Amino acid sequence: MEILTIRAPWYLAGPAIGLLIVLLLWLTNKPLGAMGGYIELDDWVTRRRGDVGWRTIFMVGVIGGGFLSALAAGSRPTLGYGSFDQLFGATVAVRALILVGAGALMGVGGRLAGGCTSGHGLCGTSFGSPASVLCTATFMGTAIGCTFAITWILGLPQ
Amino acid sequence: MTLKMIGLTCGIAFGFLLGWARLTDYDVIRDMLLLRHADVFLLMMSAMLTAAIGVRLLRALNVRSVLDHAPIAWTTQSPRRQHVIGGVVFGIGWSLAGTCPGPVAAQLGRGQIAAVFTIIGLLSGILIHDVLRSRGAITSRRAAGEPVAVAGL
Repeated sequence: MEILTIRAPWYLAGPAIGLLIVLLLWLTNKPLGAMGGYIELDDWVTRRRGDVGWRTIFMVGVIGGGFLSALAAGSRPTLGYGSFDQLFGATVAVRALILVGAGALMGVGGRLAGGCTSGHGLCGTSFGSPASVLCTATFMGTAIGCTFAITWILGLPQ
Repeated sequence: MTLKMIGLTCGIAFGFLLGWARLTDYDVIRDMLLLRHADVFLLMMSAMLTAAIGVRLLRALNVRSVLDHAPIAWTTQSPRRQHVIGGVVFGIGWSLAGTCPGPVAAQLGRGQIAAVFTIIGLLSGILIHDVLRSRGAITSRRAAGEPVAVAGL
């Protein structure tokens, strides 16, 4: 099982995620997505729904799956966040604020668009939904442009 | 099997795959967005292609879903302005955080403390959207799953 300790190549992980979309549709007739889990959690906390939604349970599963992947790779909990730490400011507080702000943008944007990289980007596009194709092209283009812009503004080598 | 049990199981599989492919690493996403490496694009495209073929096979074979015994079906949406505006706002957030709503949960499971802040932001952003909409500042349709058009390619 040495393959589980190293990074999965795209040609294994990609088709596996595709099969997972097929499996979920076959079992439940529902599309795969991540945003719904957060929306249902918010609705539950603010008493707009009476119980925990299945999409929130799905996201709890994603946390568990992440944990298992770290266990398989033998990686440990960390305060570091790769080159983000060097890119964005000296203090932990500044970095935390940027992440909260970035998360809020994804929350507003994903809610407005009705989906995220998983829901629109992977699932909706494979279903052939025109809105998903447009939305995916938009956030992909924006994210690429924004990342180049950040790198340029911060004066870092490309 | 209940919907929640299936959700939990599929969630675990999804989280494991995201972590295993290291889509939880800031630099993997950054290198993708700087067009340095093609592997994440290839991963996404192969996932899309596999799912696109798989779900159409299910439908062509008249398979019924396990849970509700209904014929396999899905809805598609017509493009609207909110998909573009939402996509731009989402894209900026994705670029800054180097992660998105799926992988950030797997980050949390992997013990990456940074994920806590991104998730707090995500949950707040959804609430901000809902407050703005209830005050009439945003006039989008309510939720992801609500079909605008029912079709299917």
